[in-house]
Amino acid sequence: MTDTSAYIKIDNVSRHYGPVKALHNLSIDIAKHEFIAILGPSGSGKSTLLRLIAGLDRPSEGRIFFKGQDVTALPPHKRGIGMVFQEFLLFPHRTVRENLAFPLRMTQETPAKIKDRLDWAEGILSLNGLMDRYPNQLSGGQQQRVALGRGLVTNPTLLLLDEPLANLDRELRQEMEVEIRRYQKQLGIPFIYVTHNQEEALSMSDRVAVINKGKLEALGERQEIYDHPNTPFVARFVGRATRFDGVSDGTTVNIPEHGYTFSPSAPVAAGRVSVFVKNERFALGASGTPGIACKVIDVVLRGPFVEFILEAANKARIIAVQPKRPDMHAIGAEIALTWDANLAHIFPAEA
Amino acid sequence: MSEPNAAARKRVFLYIPTTFLVLFFVLPLVALVVLSFWQTANYKIVRDWTTLNYVTLATESAYIIFFLRSLLMAILVSVFLVVVAWPIAFFIVRFGGRYKLIFSLLLAVPFLSGEVLRLIALQGMLGPTGLINGALMRLGAAPLRFIMYSNSATFIAFVYLYLPMTVTTIYLSLLNFDLRLASAASACGAGRLRVFSEVIWPLNLSGTMIGFLLSFIPTLSASLAPRFLGGPNGTLYGMSMAQQFGESGTWALGAAMGVVLVLFSIAALVILSLGVNLRRTGFTGMER
Ligand SMILES: Nc1ncnc2c1ncn2[C@@H]1O[C@H](COP(=O)(O)OP(=O)(O)OP(=O)(O)O)[C@@H](O)[C@H]1O
Ligand SMILES: [Mg+2]
Repeated sequence: MTDTSAYIKIDNVSRHYGPVKALHNLSIDIAKHEFIAILGPSGSGKSTLLRLIAGLDRPSEGRIFFKGQDVTALPPHKRGIGMVFQEFLLFPHRTVRENLAFPLRMTQETPAKIKDRLDWAEGILSLNGLMDRYPNQLSGGQQQRVALGRGLVTNPTLLLLDEPLANLDRELRQEMEVEIRRYQKQLGIPFIYVTHNQEEALSMSDRVAVINKGKLEALGERQEIYDHPNTPFVARFVGRATRFDGVSDGTTVNIPEHGYTFSPSAPVAAGRVSVFVKNERFALGASGTPGIACKVIDVVLRGPFVEFILEAANKARIIAVQPKRPDMHAIGAEIALTWDANLAHIFPAEA
Repeated sequence: MSEPNAAARKRVFLYIPTTFLVLFFVLPLVALVVLSFWQTANYKIVRDWTTLNYVTLATESAYIIFFLRSLLMAILVSVFLVVVAWPIAFFIVRFGGRYKLIFSLLLAVPFLSGEVLRLIALQGMLGPTGLINGALMRLGAAPLRFIMYSNSATFIAFVYLYLPMTVTTIYLSLLNFDLRLASAASACGAGRLRVFSEVIWPLNLSGTMIGFLLSFIPTLSASLAPRFLGGPNGTLYGMSMAQQFGESGTWALGAAMGVVLVLFSIAALVILSLGVNLRRTGFTGMER
């Protein structure tokens, strides 16, 4: 007997397209109030997973349960979901009002109920004055809000979002991230949010599922995934990190290319290792102190942070991120690069 | 400097199609209209202004019957073609995969031979000793009378002649249609029928209308198909018109028939385009 008590249960699901394993043996349980991000590089199977949950596609193997009920064979319109697409996919021949009313008409709501829900959507998404326009008369951000509204008007069991912010500019994206997270908390239904942007995943979600080549690499609290990646892929993909090839003798790790040795807090199996250090966890010491001798070749200001582009003796480029301070290193400065040994992630080198 | 230049260039680009239209459409039409208000006597044109031709067409029962038969034929053929072409085009687009291009090229194959040739081939298929009836009789069955030199035979011929065209127009329309909109509708709770009626059909309506007109207009004025296959009771308007210009030598009456056909074709065009709100078929014109 499988335990089907989770609100949404994805149980050992695979989807193969001929020889292509778009998804392979993937299981995730999702709780009622959860905002879960599915994070992975392009082609990793994120959209495939979302299409399976929506019912737009059927798994080759495995089952999907909503509230304990097996929905694997149900068509999309019987699943009670809402969905927001990367390209918005608003109906071009319908006004905003009609787009929003569409899912309600499909579920045969009364005109009074439809009006009620349209007013709700208009208010919560600030669509005042836009209701009688056609989608091509809206800006990207407005279209995005309509798409979100169309996914939410029916009070769905869950909302699926496939990179809904990918087509928006940075400023608007950050604004919408906060909004979307607020809606989720307000509505109390799970949001499954697909993205290849790790910042987006980290800023919005409660938990992050990292997938790579159709396999689940990691699933956990966002802080946990960030601070304690369990695979080299996760260490590299979540957050900005720099990789070093090292050799471990059991207690200390040496990085031959830079001639730097450090002692991790926990013992590391002897042999060749990969060391990952998050870019903001580098420390820049005075030249001459122990560390990797580097020269600052450029300084990039990013709001409250500064990116130091460093060049080591062997010409390798390293990026270190620091909070902005008045007395920071200037271009051309010589420094010694170190890191807190406890915060480096060390894995046996991949073959 | 560039401003007047651009305006001039724009004007030139407008002149080119306008000149073409005037040369090849408006001028012949004017000639036809003028001729239709003259008379022909003993194979000669009499340049006296008269509306007699139109009176003849509106009162003589033979012409009225020919016309109604043509109109009914054109409507039936076009509706039938749209109904049949839709699923064909849809399946090519949806499931054709990498063979899509081959399928669409196959649709063009009949156009490689002329219309007369195709009609003669069809005559061979449908006639009394043709492929179908010949086989039936050899098997000891009675021949199908309704496909021998009848309006049914003409109907079959029109379907055969114009099916590739209708499929191609609907196919092109569907090819430009974003099928993911159908997924979006499903995700919004629409069942298959609603997905079709609310999203796929309206967004391909202009393509469908063009497909309809491209079979309606030539069927309305067709002369070859009924001549080869229509039999004694199968005379259509266009066929009768061709006879005015040929055997009977009553060119002016023929010209009047031509004008009637042009007017009805334009009427069909206007009715359909007024009936279709382009906005509601997803047509957005120049904006973005
Ligand atoms: N209909 C299909 N037929 C064959 N292969 C497919 C099909 N759909 C997806 N794939 C393959 O499955 C894999 C996963 O595709 P998917 O669209 O889920 O990726 P994704 O993670 O959403 O990528 P992106 O971030 O680029 O959208 C890809 O290798 C893709 O080529
Ligand atoms: Mg995708």
